[in-house]
Amino acid sequence: MMKRISVDIGGTFTDCFLAWEDQYLETKALTTHHNLSLGFMDALKQGCDKLGLGVRTVLSQVSSVRYATTLGTNTLIERNGPSVGLLTTAGYESSVPLSRGRGYGEGLTPTEQANLPSAKRPEPIVPMRMIAGVRERIDYKGEVLLPLDEEDVRKQVRLLINRGAQVLVVSLMNSVANPIHEKRIEEIIIEEYPSNMLGAIPVILSHLVVNRKGEYVRTTATILDAYLHGQMFHALSTLELALKENGYTKPMQVVHNSGGMAQLNSTHSLQTINSGPIAGIDAAEVIAEQFKLNKLICMDIGGTSCDIGLVVKDGTRFYDFNPVIDRWLVNIPMVNLKIIGAGGGSIARLDKIFNTIEVGPNSAGSDPGPACYDRGGLEPTVTDADLLLGYLDPDHYAGGTIKLNKKRSELVVSDNISEEMDISIIDAAKQIKEKVDSNMADAISTELRVKGYDPKSFTLLAYGGNGTLHCCGIADQLDINQILVPPFSPIFSALGAGMMSQLHIHEKNVYINIYDVNKRSLFQDYESINAIVEELESKGREDLLRQGVEERDIQFRLELDMRYGNQVIESSVICPISRLKNIDDVFQIISTFRENFRARFGEGSEMPEAGIRVSVIRVISYVQHEPIYFNKEITEKREQPVPVREQFCYFIDVEKPILTPVYDINRISEGTIIQGPALIDSSNTTYLIEPGWVLKMGIQGSALITRSNRKGQDKLLYREKYFSKGVTQG
Amino acid sequence: MTQTNREQELVEKFLQDNAYFRGPDREIIENHGLEPITDREKKAIANTSDEKMSIIRSRIQAVATEATEMIMQLGSAPGAKWGDLTASFYTASGDMTLGSTKGITAFATSSQYALKYTIKYWGKDPNVGIRPGDAFMHNDARYGGVHNADQSVFIPIFHKGELVAWGCCIIHEGENGAVEPGGMPVIAESKFMEGLAISPIKIAEKYNLRNDIVTFLQNSTREPKLMLQDIKTKLSACIRMQKRMEEIIEEFGVDAVIATLRKTLDDTDQEVRRRISEWQDGTVRTFFVLDNTGRENIMIKVNLEVEKKGDTLSIDFSGSSPEFLNRAVNVNLSVMHGMIAVGFLYYVWPDLPRNQAVINSFKIKAHSKSVVNGSDDVPVALAISIAESMVSVLQQIFGKFLYSAERRYTRIISPVYSSVDGFGYGGVTQHGEIVGNISADINGMPSGAREDMDGEHSIYLTSAAMADQGEQELFEEELPWIHLSRRIFKDNQGFGKYRGGSGFQQIVSVKGSPFWGLQSVTPASRVPMVSGLFGGYGCPVYPLARVKGVNVFKIMQEHPELFEYSIDEIMNTKPFEGGTYNTRQKGMAFEQMQEGELYMQTQGAGGGYGDVLDRDPNMVIKDLEDQIISDYVSQNIYHVVYDPETLVIDVEATIKKRQQEREARKKRGVPYQEFIERWVTERPPGHLPWYGSWGNNKNVYAGSPDNVMQVDHLQPVTLPDPKDVRIAELERLLAERN
Repeated sequence: MMKRISVDIGGTFTDCFLAWEDQYLETKALTTHHNLSLGFMDALKQGCDKLGLGVRTVLSQVSSVRYATTLGTNTLIERNGPSVGLLTTAGYESSVPLSRGRGYGEGLTPTEQANLPSAKRPEPIVPMRMIAGVRERIDYKGEVLLPLDEEDVRKQVRLLINRGAQVLVVSLMNSVANPIHEKRIEEIIIEEYPSNMLGAIPVILSHLVVNRKGEYVRTTATILDAYLHGQMFHALSTLELALKENGYTKPMQVVHNSGGMAQLNSTHSLQTINSGPIAGIDAAEVIAEQFKLNKLICMDIGGTSCDIGLVVKDGTRFYDFNPVIDRWLVNIPMVNLKIIGAGGGSIARLDKIFNTIEVGPNSAGSDPGPACYDRGGLEPTVTDADLLLGYLDPDHYAGGTIKLNKKRSELVVSDNISEEMDISIIDAAKQIKEKVDSNMADAISTELRVKGYDPKSFTLLAYGGNGTLHCCGIADQLDINQILVPPFSPIFSALGAGMMSQLHIHEKNVYINIYDVNKRSLFQDYESINAIVEELESKGREDLLRQGVEERDIQFRLELDMRYGNQVIESSVICPISRLKNIDDVFQIISTFRENFRARFGEGSEMPEAGIRVSVIRVISYVQHEPIYFNKEITEKREQPVPVREQFCYFIDVEKPILTPVYDINRISEGTIIQGPALIDSSNTTYLIEPGWVLKMGIQGSALITRSNRKGQDKLLYREKYFSKGVTQG
Repeated sequence: MTQTNREQELVEKFLQDNAYFRGPDREIIENHGLEPITDREKKAIANTSDEKMSIIRSRIQAVATEATEMIMQLGSAPGAKWGDLTASFYTASGDMTLGSTKGITAFATSSQYALKYTIKYWGKDPNVGIRPGDAFMHNDARYGGVHNADQSVFIPIFHKGELVAWGCCIIHEGENGAVEPGGMPVIAESKFMEGLAISPIKIAEKYNLRNDIVTFLQNSTREPKLMLQDIKTKLSACIRMQKRMEEIIEEFGVDAVIATLRKTLDDTDQEVRRRISEWQDGTVRTFFVLDNTGRENIMIKVNLEVEKKGDTLSIDFSGSSPEFLNRAVNVNLSVMHGMIAVGFLYYVWPDLPRNQAVINSFKIKAHSKSVVNGSDDVPVALAISIAESMVSVLQQIFGKFLYSAERRYTRIISPVYSSVDGFGYGGVTQHGEIVGNISADINGMPSGAREDMDGEHSIYLTSAAMADQGEQELFEEELPWIHLSRRIFKDNQGFGKYRGGSGFQQIVSVKGSPFWGLQSVTPASRVPMVSGLFGGYGCPVYPLARVKGVNVFKIMQEHPELFEYSIDEIMNTKPFEGGTYNTRQKGMAFEQMQEGELYMQTQGAGGGYGDVLDRDPNMVIKDLEDQIISDYVSQNIYHVVYDPETLVIDVEATIKKRQQEREARKKRGVPYQEFIERWVTERPPGHLPWYGSWGNNKNVYAGSPDNVMQVDHLQPVTLPDPKDVRIAELERLLAERN
């Protein structure tokens, strides 16, 4: 029977999911930033108490402890990492400071990117004075153009250390094609500063962090890795030590943003960034399987941002090979996660040009937060609008931890928007809601459509503090008919960590013409590709064996990054075969690529006549673990629960307020059907079932929300109903 | 004798029916305003709420962004990969109304003219027509657009038989079969040497490309593969735009879409008038000089006077140089319109939607046959030299108006460095492919200083947000030329209280190619085109430097210690024995280079802001530590006193030194009247090849003080072939010796 612990340590809360045979438990504790193990042990103890067992008993029996964290993100935001020195190819000292030009806008909104007079690159992690060029040069094939000047290396290393470098990054041109100079520099540094001496200094080589070309993105990835390394190492080691002291004897598993997990000794610090939300996408994959859903949009709406991920049944996993971490473009493979600046704290403002309301991307965050928090916020936010529309209970918001002041919301909406537009406060609030729902829908739509999908065919998986509040509005905009609130949604990322497989990605840059248009020939050197695949599989196998898995459990997936002609895009194609034997296999690869491309960019967009090239060979080595099984769907109908109260709510396209029943989630049994409009309060969030939608309560806090009638029809019915009755707010 | 209206119509119809050539339409090109609102649009606006239009506007904007990203992913041209592209929507009448925030807005605003040509000429032509499933293409800037290196594809969007909108995708493709590879031929002496000149043509029917036309286009360039790939890319993106628009129409109704497209323009226009009225009334005058044509060093003046009165702005180019019949530096008026729009949208009101209504209310005056309003027969391949600099010169003007404006919508910025400093290249790659294009280094223009902070080092293209300089490792994989240094050039700075950003140098060579050459279209080797603001320094000038007759790759193997990484070190120390070291103006016709030879140039710098003596000494020392300025500059420009070993500032000594410099300035200064009397001459000096007005804008000089034209009657100038000039000079020398 499964015994497993998974944890997601966020900025505020540490979420814990404990699977103990047939019992699944969720707990939360405050994150203890000074020593993460304290918050973790607190959350774990709560779970153990529910089981009636001691922490030591549980820890000594679980098969694994899995851990996702935002610690790295915090280090980047707070800038409390070490002083990093960079050794790079002479002549290329300016690459990182110039950041390909576009670096000023990475991680910003299109509006911010377009404001050229205010364009400013982020404060550098490695200032220019901490960058030193070394005399060497290797070309794209790996041939040495300029031999390494070792004396120059020693001089530059001393210079950086004298300037205060606490860790050194070595990133040289084309080191991926030939790492000989990077390796030699590491040897020289160790000679100069031996590891047995107190002055030893960590050295991180770029080709070991990312084995793909692109000198700027690879160097940036290596710098971030070096910057996060020390803090992550100490924090995670402390946590592992605390586990050992409490009876856990196995290695702790760390969740990676590549969608897998590994032990500490097989983890780069950079691989942990965003691992929490990405674990949520993993959980969604299991949910898609168990709830028999073909396509899911994962939508996690919090206070300041909305994270969007995709899950489709054919097993395609969407990666971003050039993700932006904080404000930095890097080239590590990361599960695709689109983060947009829209959440409860998003600020609404009047757009005087068009006499309409715009929402975001600026956010009031949690401090001062929305105006209704009464902490000094002076601008109207989405949460203020939600309160004014009657969706939030001022006395029970966030489990009663924050009392909401409706008068403050009225004041800021009136002062900033409605008076100037000459509309009512309620109309302004409605426009705010409609606009933020529309913004999120547009972002989701773009995200799906560039990948070749139509949002209409997806189910919306809604979680996060504001996910269940805005899901119907967003689904309306996207013309989506079905929304699923997943089981254990308040701790969804921790749940995801519990679903993870052990996984490693190894890749190699290549220049292989599958179809060479200049020579009019098809690729025939099968053994050269097979040898690379073999090499990458060996690396993955070694990684997994080192972690104690059985060789028979190891599986591999081969992916090829392919392009037509000289395109910049590298479409990652899951290769239907693992070895090439004959021309039929080549045609099969061409055909698979063509199908993928056509689905994504439309009929006629394929261009095989321009040539077909493979630029990266990637092997994913993994071990599938037993998933967590959710209870089967309840089919029997239950009695309609009694609302705990009723309150007037306003809805888009419905002029007058509707007296809306409010239910307590703890009093709704599985299988219960609730027709919208309705509100369901839980300790962490509110479910808003808008007119035209119906909710069916599922197991373990899950809920299926479906359209009860043709889009908009119910709203019209309500409009007629309430107009004719002349119901007004009491 | 006066003709009746009926007679006039008959005559016009006859002339139209019997035109032997449907060339560029000046009536279209010279009108930068919006098309009159139609009854259909009025009715649609009356039936649609602002709230609904807001939702639709965001949706359409998202589609434009989606299409732009799609082109970036699918496109093959370096311009597509690195951000020199865009996608936009137009009204049924052809006004550009909603565009992507990424890419080059000037492409979209200046392509409206080609679209309007298509509507006017082909819409009613039974042999061409505009039907669902059609797609059109064009690249000839005389019909609209920036220059012939850019290619557009546009698609009409219908709903139940009614033309509702247009979608358009544009990429800087580069190679177009011109006399030199890469699409910007320096030696083009006529428009017939500029390669493909595609007037708006139907490229697809029923969404299928016409292979006969595609093959013709491929057959006309050096890169047929690129031509095919990118036509398909643009068509695929246009079809995507159409599909999305159909979905929006299905959801919100056709009236709401028509209303949104038009009202976005009208609201933008109204807002611009309101914002203009926030400025103080007044006139600002300035000019800039293009110091070479790419073939010879001459002084080409672009004159500019901007008057603001009430809610109107008048922009007057009177006094600018005449056009050149056999040099490619001329600019079409549509480009100037586009660049003025870009100047305002990027550097004054970046919060406004990207559309052409931003300049609708402006009065723009540019005399025909001037260099900024070239006629249909002059070459324009190097138009960007003047066009990009237009944005910089506008920034000077903006600074003066904005300083006292009631409200600003972004920071005041000193002029951004605007010369296109990136080598054009052409030849055969190490993989045997024939290519010709321009380097992504052009996307590294340094920004000017801001009112409250320094400029950024090589950061973007003046006219594009998020432009990308790319990754050299990826370039080297595909192309045989190698950047041996991309280091920021020391002391390359527009000094000031806040300094401009610095540019990086490009030291390049070639390896493994049977044939390779470079070209450069850059001016400003003698006269800077980027000034400072409010006392800040302008950009320095730099030559193009070459080391010929050596193979540096051999030297790097045999004498690795000899290789250097800065242009000044290489040119001053001449470390490679046997090499020929020389400099020239940056404009350079295509020139073959041998393996291991070095070609070197540098990006300039953004303009400075404010007085150098007001610069925080700590910021000076930081630049010194970062090695972007020297001790000389720190001590003699910024007048900071510090310990050269520890870099600790002597605060008292710095205050004293700066005070001394202020006193010295007063002594060097002369009263204004005295300066004018000493400095101003009636006519340009005889030795100066000056093209443009000299004080009085009514008289325009054409190369000498004796060659004067009236501003209302400009004539094109013809310049001798530099080779003929050289031959004549050599013959004269020979004759003298004999």
